Amino acid sequence: MNKELSENIKHYIDDIITSWQEKMKKEKGERFFQYMPNDVVEKTSREFAELMTSNLLVADDVNETKLTEFTEKVVRFGWSIKFVNKSIENFSEVTFEILESEGVINDSNLRNYVKTIMAWISPLRDSIIEAYSVEWERTVQLQKVALQELSASLIPVFDKVSVMPLVGTIDTERAKLIMENLLEGVVKQRAEVVLLDITGVPVVDTMVAHHIIQAADAVRLVGAKCMLVGIRPEIAQTIVALGIELNDFTTTSTLRRGMQQALKLTNRKVVEVETEWM
Amino acid sequence: MDVRIPILKLNDTLIVSVQWELDDQTAIQFQEDLLEKIHDTNARGVVIDLTPIDFIDSFIAKVLGDVIHMSRLMGAKVVLTGIQPGVAITLVELGIRLKNVLTALDLENGLDKLHKELEE
Repeated sequence: MNKELSENIKHYIDDIITSWQEKMKKEKGERFFQYMPNDVVEKTSREFAELMTSNLLVADDVNETKLTEFTEKVVRFGWSIKFVNKSIENFSEVTFEILESEGVINDSNLRNYVKTIMAWISPLRDSIIEAYSVEWERTVQLQKVALQELSASLIPVFDKVSVMPLVGTIDTERAKLIMENLLEGVVKQRAEVVLLDITGVPVVDTMVAHHIIQAADAVRLVGAKCMLVGIRPEIAQTIVALGIELNDFTTTSTLRRGMQQALKLTNRKVVEVETEWM
Repeated sequence: MDVRIPILKLNDTLIVSVQWELDDQTAIQFQEDLLEKIHDTNARGVVIDLTPIDFIDSFIAKVLGDVIHMSRLMGAKVVLTGIQPGVAITLVELGIRLKNVLTALDLENGLDKLHKELEE
C-alpha cells in the first residue's frame, strides 16, 4: 500500500508541490513563502516534499533513521513549530485532494488510503514535536545555568562590608544557592556586615521572605550582620500585608543608606577631602 | 575513653576551643565543666570557638543553646565564633536560631566583641 501511495505521489509530485505552495502562501504568520525569492522557495519546497516522501519509499512500517533525518533537516529550515505543523498538514491534505481528483483514490480504496496516509503523517508530526520540545528544554536548561552563574555573587565593597545584589525571582533552588554563596563569601571575605540588596527582586512573598530570613539568621551565626536594603514601597506594602516579621534585622530603602549604616556599624564614615593644589 | 574539652582562662574570660565533632556524652560533660569553671573563676565572658567543626546535629545544637543560656544566668556572656557556613545552614534548617547569641567570625573578633559588650 505504501508503495502504491508513494508511486502515485511521485507521479503527481509537481502538482502536489504547486498547490502546496499555493496553500502555504495563504498562511499567515511565517512570511517565508511571501518574501523569499522564487528559486529558494522552489528548492526548499522540493526538499521538503522529498523529505516528506522519503519515509514512504523505504518500507511499510516507520523507518527510524529516515524519520530522524527528516526531523533534523526540517528543524534546520528554522521555521516555527506551528508553521512546520501546518506544512505537514497541508502537504497531506493536498496529496489527498490531488490523488482523489485524479481518480487514484476512489470509494473502494478510500479507507485503506486514509489509513496509510495517517500512518505516514503521524510519526512525522510526533517526531517534529519531540525535536522541538527537546530543543526548548535544552535552551531552558542552558539559561538556568547561565542565570545561576550570573546570580548571587557577594561583592566586597569595603573592608568588612560586602554587598549581594539580588536580581530576578527567587525560588527555592536559587535561595539555596544564595545562602551558600552568601555564607562562603562572608567567611572568605571576612565581612562583618553584609547588605542584601533586593531592589531587583520583583515579588517578595512569604516564601522569598522566609528564605531571606533564613539567610540572615545563618549569616548571624557565622558571625556577621545581615542588612536588607532596597525595599521598594510596594515590597514594604506586601511584607506588612502578609504579616512577615522582619523586626530582627535592619532594613533600609536604598543601598546608599544601608551602606552608611554599615559603615557606622564598623566605626567608619566616608568624608569629603579638600583638593590640595600644588 | 574520657575526652574532655579544655577550657582556658584568660583574665576574666574563658576560652573554649572545640577541636572535634562532639558526641552526646562529651557535650553534656562540657556543659557541666563549663558551668563549674564559670563558678570557680567568676568569669564574665566565654568564647566558644567552633572553627574545626563541620557538622552539628540537633542535640549538640540544643546543648550549646542551653549552655549559653545557663552561662548567661550565671552572669557570663557567651560569644560563638567560627561557625562554618555548612553548620550555619544546618542550624537554620533545623530551626535553631540561637537568638540573642553573640557570634563572630573568629576568636580575635569574638574577644573584641565580648570586651565591647562587657564595657557597656
